[in-house]
Amino acid sequence: MGIDITITIGGEAGQGIQTVGQLLAAVCREAGLYVFGINDFESRIRGGHSFYQLRIADHQVRAPRHRVNLLIAMDDATLRLHREELLPGGLCLLNSADAEAEEPVRPIPFFKLARDAGGDILANTVATAAALALLGAPGGMLEKILHRQFAGKSSKVLEDNCTAARLGRAAVQGIDCSCIGAWPESGRKRMIMEGAAALSLGALAGDCRFAAFYPMSPATGIMMNLAAWQDRFPLVVEQAEDEIAAANMIIGASYAGVRSLTATSGGGFCLMTEAVGLAGISETPIVIINAQRPGPATGLATRTAQADLRQVMHAGQDEFPRFVFAPGSPEQAYETTARAFDLADTYQVPALILVDQYFNDSLFTLEDALQAPEKVSSRTIDDASQKNPSDYQRYALTDSGISPRAVPCAGETLVMVCGNEHKPDGHSTESAELRTAMVDKRARKLRGMASDMRPPTGAHPEAAIRLICWGSTLGVVAEAVELLRADGVDAGYMHFCDIWPFPGTAAQAALAGAERLICVEQNSTAQFAGLLRQETGIAVAHTVLKYDGRPFYPLEIVNAVMKEGR
Amino acid sequence: MACPKDFDNSVENKWCPGCGNHPILQSIKEALAQLGLAPRDVLIVSGIGQAAKTPHYLNCNFFHGLHGRALPVATGAKAANHSLTILVNSGDGDCYGEGGNHFMNAIRRNLDITLLVHDNKVYGLTKGQASPTSDLRMITRAQPHGVILEPFNPLAVALALKAGFVARGYAADTEHLSMLIQEGVRHRGFSLIDILQPCVSFNQVNTYQWYAERVYDLAKEGHDTSDFMAAMVKARQWGDKIPLGILYRQESPSFTDRIDGLKEGPLTGRAYDPARLHKLLAEF
Ligand SMILES: Cc1ncc(C[n+]2csc(CCOP(=O)(O)OP(=O)(O)O)c2C)c(N)n1
Ligand code: SF4
Ligand SMILES: [Mg+2]
Repeated sequence: MGIDITITIGGEAGQGIQTVGQLLAAVCREAGLYVFGINDFESRIRGGHSFYQLRIADHQVRAPRHRVNLLIAMDDATLRLHREELLPGGLCLLNSADAEAEEPVRPIPFFKLARDAGGDILANTVATAAALALLGAPGGMLEKILHRQFAGKSSKVLEDNCTAARLGRAAVQGIDCSCIGAWPESGRKRMIMEGAAALSLGALAGDCRFAAFYPMSPATGIMMNLAAWQDRFPLVVEQAEDEIAAANMIIGASYAGVRSLTATSGGGFCLMTEAVGLAGISETPIVIINAQRPGPATGLATRTAQADLRQVMHAGQDEFPRFVFAPGSPEQAYETTARAFDLADTYQVPALILVDQYFNDSLFTLEDALQAPEKVSSRTIDDASQKNPSDYQRYALTDSGISPRAVPCAGETLVMVCGNEHKPDGHSTESAELRTAMVDKRARKLRGMASDMRPPTGAHPEAAIRLICWGSTLGVVAEAVELLRADGVDAGYMHFCDIWPFPGTAAQAALAGAERLICVEQNSTAQFAGLLRQETGIAVAHTVLKYDGRPFYPLEIVNAVMKEGR
Repeated sequence: MACPKDFDNSVENKWCPGCGNHPILQSIKEALAQLGLAPRDVLIVSGIGQAAKTPHYLNCNFFHGLHGRALPVATGAKAANHSLTILVNSGDGDCYGEGGNHFMNAIRRNLDITLLVHDNKVYGLTKGQASPTSDLRMITRAQPHGVILEPFNPLAVALALKAGFVARGYAADTEHLSMLIQEGVRHRGFSLIDILQPCVSFNQVNTYQWYAERVYDLAKEGHDTSDFMAAMVKARQWGDKIPLGILYRQESPSFTDRIDGLKEGPLTGRAYDPARLHKLLAEF
């Protein structure tokens, strides 16, 4: 194994901790290195404690580490809280005016140096430069990034930042820290992005043209991205008065003929529930992303969880078909989001995507660049595709359950849509026969939907011990499996992205022959394990559950698997 | 020539005989025909309640959604295709109660739609509970000691939020109501028409006769529809005399007028372009 080092930058909210992480990541990207960053913060704008952990490697990494090589402490609390994470030989740069400190702490007056360069705000740049110098990064790389970042700003801003970088570098001169031996001068530059960006881009790849939202962590980032890109696409992003409005707005937009999205977290999704049912019975395609955080109610606003699986699967009274997806990587999130739009459109159902704070706020390096689809085709029909538009029936009873969907005011076709139980023409009805026929018609779509579900994917499919996971834990579980194997444990894993309709046959095939199945989830009742058993009869032997709001670390999973005995 | 009959259909009408909704329905048909609109040109969005059943009795495009949520659906539809002519049929409970937040925000957006609130001052479909506009002390089975909440004043609230077209109609005066609906549809921006609608089954206070003794036409009084303060005074008038007509009218850019990205035309008419996404992806 070559380069694989971890840096944690900690401080108060408002000190720009994330900026340091992002700047470091940008420099690493320039050098062709891989990064993985996690963002841990409290529900406050100033003060408290937050940290950004950045892992830098010369190979793909998709999990955080519980031990760090370098700790950058912008305040004393960071040192206190993270000291034990330091690896032997690790180093801590502590913001301090003192000349000396106990090993392995090196006092660096970050804020004083920042003021020398032009102001407190430059402390991020001082810290980034100091860290890079310690890592042995060739000088000038940070400046290159700063030039790019501040291209539009006044030259004073750039100058001050460059001064700050110089002071930061100088401050660590003579400190010996050979974390990274040979720093690549340059390499293949790969995409880096946060999970939220992958989802936003995926929406555009699905030809999303309308998005409505009400701000709620950790979903807000998805909508902030789209809002910023509005001018570059046929796209309108509207901040709704509440989540009920957001969900109903996207239903209206979709009915009128454009693909539409909303994103929220569990609490907001609660408010959208009735609208999910409206999309179901009115057969209006929509995509909703639920970025999970711990609950119930407000729970832990800025932390992570996977406890809304049952919520999204059952949201809305009565029964109607829906899709549920839980991507585990930015590549999967991009593709799945685009696919969700297409499948929602094809089957005229709501498609629900589960991610979480850990996924949305984490930074990933992508091996291969994401590609824009050449073509996105809408599934709606118009006058020209019908013999007699005046005979159009929005809810025509068909074998597939799919009734051709037209859009209103586009021709002679009158599109009559209703959230009450209805006749094929869209007018409401109390008829017992038609009610049964319509429930059955909607349910018939499940057959086609199931055939479009993809099987779980994983590694070491023949292994004796097989870990099962879904959603954002993919990277952590994959790394845990490699650690187990390095310890001589015959372990493998299966990850589920497509969750509903449940790919039962594929699951049975993928899990067959295992001696022991262990389900890894971020909730307290093993929701997915229950679903697996419900749909396949397969009962897992053990579960590894974490629900403290923090992401899994690979070693936690390794330890839990070891504890259960081989 | 468009004619009111074009909007007839054969759906069985489920309103009580004598309900104020019947003449409202007729007024809508007449207004649409007068405006030269054909069924294919009209989209009606509605929520849930007796009023919200209206689109089923009209031959046109419609989206009959959830209780209280017609305005967000209309907002989304308008954002997707701002060339649509959208009318919203709602009730006093649907619009001012369950959907109160949407009412305020649709006005703030200046959404270019015509909102017809069939205001019978009662929850008709759920059999006669008080609504936000019920008069004080009105007795219902749910409020056996009489309503103790101050009535919601939709016209005053709409004015306070700077709605650009605020009017009151009366179900029984179809000619006047048809005129109001035409003006409302012509108005670029949000139009509110609160329609006094007798409910013969559950509202024994605000009856046809009660209204007949009180309503009068503002236009005949020489009311100045550009005078905001005068409109506010009229909006607050209730009791012995009840004003009908356009209280206030003032055009300003609508929701979709204000969205730069829609200047190139409705979103429904635009095309997916891989080059745009390719360019954005290259920035990561
Ligand atoms: C979420 C929800 N809550 C309650 C109801 C029951 N409900 C149906 S109509 C209605 C009130 C209707 O009153 P209004 O909007 O004034 O319409 P009207 O029937 O008087 O025309 C209620 C409470 C419902 N359908 N949905
Ligand atoms: S209950 Fe009242 S509002 Fe409903 S149909 Fe009968 S008269 Fe009309
Ligand atoms: Mg009512």
